[in-house]
Amino acid sequence: MQLTLDYNETWLHRMNPAFKLVFFLFLFLGLLFIHNPNIITYVTLLPLILVAFFTGHKRKLLLILMIPFLLLFVSSSSSMIFFGQGTTTWWKWGLIHITEESFYRGLHIGFRALNFALLGLIFALTTRPVLLFYSLTQQLKVPPRFAYSFMAAVRILPMMVEEFQQLKNALLVRGVKKEKGWKRITQSITLYAVPLLSQSIRRAHRIAVAMESKQFHNGKRTYYYETRLSKFDGLFVLYIVLGVVTMVWLGLEVPTYEITDVRNSD
Amino acid sequence: MKRLKLSDILITIVIALVFGIIYKLWGPVYNLVKPFGLHVGDIVYGMWFIAGTVAMLILRKPGVALLAETAAASGEFLVGSEYGLSVLLYGIVQGLGTELVFALFRYKRYTAFVAALSGIAAAAGSLIMDVAYGYILDLALWNLLLLISARVLGGILIAGIFAYFLVEALEKTGVTSLVRPASHEDFKALDK
Amino acid sequence: MRVGVTNLRVKYAGASELLFNDLTLHIEKGEKVLLLGPSGCGKSTLLQVLSGLIPAAVPVPMKVEEKMIPESTGYVFQDPDAQFCMPYVDEEMAFVLENRAIPRSEMKGLINTYLDKVGLHFDDPHVEIATLSQGMKQRLAIASVLSLEPDVLYLDEPTALLDPEGTKDVWETIKKIDDDQTMVIVEHKVDHVIDFVDRVVLFDDSGTILADSDPETILSFYKHKMKEFGIWYPGIWKEHEHGLKRETKNALSVMTIEDLKGFKGKKCLVELPEAVIHEGEWIVITGENGAGKSSLLLSIMQVLKTTGDVHVDGKALHSIKEAREKLAFVFQNPEFQFVTNSVYDELAYSMSEDVQNRVTTWLQNYELLNHQHQHPYQLSTGQKRKLSVGTALFGNQRILLLDEPTFGQDAKNTFKLLEYFEDLRSKGITIMMVTHDPNIVETYATREWIISKGRRVSDRNVNRGEEAVVHAVDS
Repeated sequence: MQLTLDYNETWLHRMNPAFKLVFFLFLFLGLLFIHNPNIITYVTLLPLILVAFFTGHKRKLLLILMIPFLLLFVSSSSSMIFFGQGTTTWWKWGLIHITEESFYRGLHIGFRALNFALLGLIFALTTRPVLLFYSLTQQLKVPPRFAYSFMAAVRILPMMVEEFQQLKNALLVRGVKKEKGWKRITQSITLYAVPLLSQSIRRAHRIAVAMESKQFHNGKRTYYYETRLSKFDGLFVLYIVLGVVTMVWLGLEVPTYEITDVRNSD
Repeated sequence: MKRLKLSDILITIVIALVFGIIYKLWGPVYNLVKPFGLHVGDIVYGMWFIAGTVAMLILRKPGVALLAETAAASGEFLVGSEYGLSVLLYGIVQGLGTELVFALFRYKRYTAFVAALSGIAAAAGSLIMDVAYGYILDLALWNLLLLISARVLGGILIAGIFAYFLVEALEKTGVTSLVRPASHEDFKALDK
Repeated sequence: MRVGVTNLRVKYAGASELLFNDLTLHIEKGEKVLLLGPSGCGKSTLLQVLSGLIPAAVPVPMKVEEKMIPESTGYVFQDPDAQFCMPYVDEEMAFVLENRAIPRSEMKGLINTYLDKVGLHFDDPHVEIATLSQGMKQRLAIASVLSLEPDVLYLDEPTALLDPEGTKDVWETIKKIDDDQTMVIVEHKVDHVIDFVDRVVLFDDSGTILADSDPETILSFYKHKMKEFGIWYPGIWKEHEHGLKRETKNALSVMTIEDLKGFKGKKCLVELPEAVIHEGEWIVITGENGAGKSSLLLSIMQVLKTTGDVHVDGKALHSIKEAREKLAFVFQNPEFQFVTNSVYDELAYSMSEDVQNRVTTWLQNYELLNHQHQHPYQLSTGQKRKLSVGTALFGNQRILLLDEPTFGQDAKNTFKLLEYFEDLRSKGITIMMVTHDPNIVETYATREWIISKGRRVSDRNVNRGEEAVVHAVDS
């Protein structure tokens, strides 16, 4: 979600946001049908190239954003590697049982998670929320009530961040003693969540009334931003299709691992 | 059926987006407690079900839980979640779980018990997704059972009990009266 | 006839009584009507009924024998931060045009036309709304409402949350709207409106119409009622000058500041090279939005990261904990300072001895005894403010720091608060207060600091009352 980030617009920004969303969802489902670890390793290159060269953001920012991905890779794969079922035992120690099958299955899950993460990052870095919601109402016929509520709600968030800062200062001045253990949780509810949420609920209510007072309705409307499909959407499809074909071919012809299907064959 | 008004939708989405940000911040927390593979960390997973329950307890109308959980996931996705698009699908399925429980009680019961049940249902939703996404059925049985119980316990504690207390604290401030319909007594008083 | 209700009854959920009991009000085409009355008498509710928002958008139980609601209405709300749904100026303007299904090709031109009408000029109206001043936001709200081409324009305290400058700009903008535009206005600050309206309807506490006449008649016959209801009428500040004590003695210094700088990250927000503050002073800190007034208070309180010295009673303050013992601080939004679920607990919090007695006495003195079991959030805005001052001072601090304590309050509450502060001051408490209101400077302050771009550019003693009295001046 870019509010004030500095970036150059690229062809990924010019894609139709709703099309981008739907196409990404298909890619997501498609990834679930890849069970060959060789293929998914190669496929990961496709979103990686896009993130690195075509999101229009500074490299430094991209690197910072990708740090959690490493942790994600480890955490997604580790339980399967240590505790997954398999027949070719590599190592066994207490409850930990690493087999060849479980190892590659874990690796596969890690790469899968990485792919989702990269695709999500591409979407977030190249889509302006306002255009996404305009596009959702125009291309996917999402009722304006939902789409415009989203846009209004996004506007409230920065105000909440500011209020959070004020709240923190106010509590510092008040000299609130920090409770211990379970009480700490209930304390943070009353001190932070309640003021911020109640303030936002009241604000949201007022904004909704204001929107209705401006004759907002679900009927026929025109659009300030007209969102259409363009050649950039075609370009993206072409990139993915050619890319996937190449990577699948590489995965089959130039495999890096011995296993070709990570599903448990029992 | 009580149809959602614009203010219901907007309030639901605002609540959801607040949790969407928490969802995003929760990612590293979860990843930190998880890598040991013993799934004890899955107790914190329940945080990812909370938006639906909280919004439903506040607004008390059909569709709110599904909308809230989907919106929270969208928010998490739009701020660049490391789980990418998967959060959207997880969100929808989890939200359906929560919604289903409140629907079973015909949108008439909003107690801690029902909230806890909704947490369990959301946990079930997330586990269904995990079968497709993370091959969890290929885990050793004891490990799978550990995963399931930690996930369900987290759902009960965070999305159930914690959510219930949060809304109860909000009720005391009087803000929820904005979204609750007037009673028949109020209408009758007009005719006196 | 354009708009009106006959025998209107309204009841809020859970309220014990009807808000209006058979109220009848009719407004003619082209009339400009001002609704006046005490806070909570239901003026805003009536405005929402007359515009059709109640019950269409806000389902409040109501019953009416006959009502005439215009087809097209425009409604400007009080809160500049709660009436837009889009992030940019042009997008917000376009939102209304979209609702009216205006063809896209005409939008750009219309957006500029309507922005012109309220005196907002941008080279490119794709400007983030968040960067506008509050006054500009309200003018934007008026522009977007005008683009509805409304039969009747409803203004619901459009300047209640604005500083004096913004207030003036907004009313000037409204006065430039076409002469034959029907308007119904709710406003507490009468100064700018009274010459502009044709008719004033005065309500009492129970929502009954007390008077309905031309402005001159209302001003000459009902001033006492306006005073009682907390309305800002012309000349009100003069009436409060009497009885204020003039300064008569040189006082002790209670706080000294040297080379104080307040930072956010590495950025210096405000600096104050030197200041001596004396017991019983009432220092008012003024200056434009964003000049650093609040930052100065936060720096003195050690909430911001600071360098330099603040000494109180000869003791240097290094941390917020030390500052808390010596200084009481009240934030702009009192709600954020509440930490418990009831008024009583709020006062009892952080007290150790003789709790019951002290709290009850305070509650009695400040007329909150009946509310002691209520959640602080459910108090009126004036009561919230009073409570937050009360809780802040329970540690027997001698210096009170206030960030715009009278902001958005009606006249009655404002003077109650100011009298409360004056009472504290007469007991030797020193007051430092950020405000935008020049009337407070003239009437109550004993000293004024003007802050501009993070620096104090003026420090003068203010002569209260008739007689000029000079007291301790910084060397």
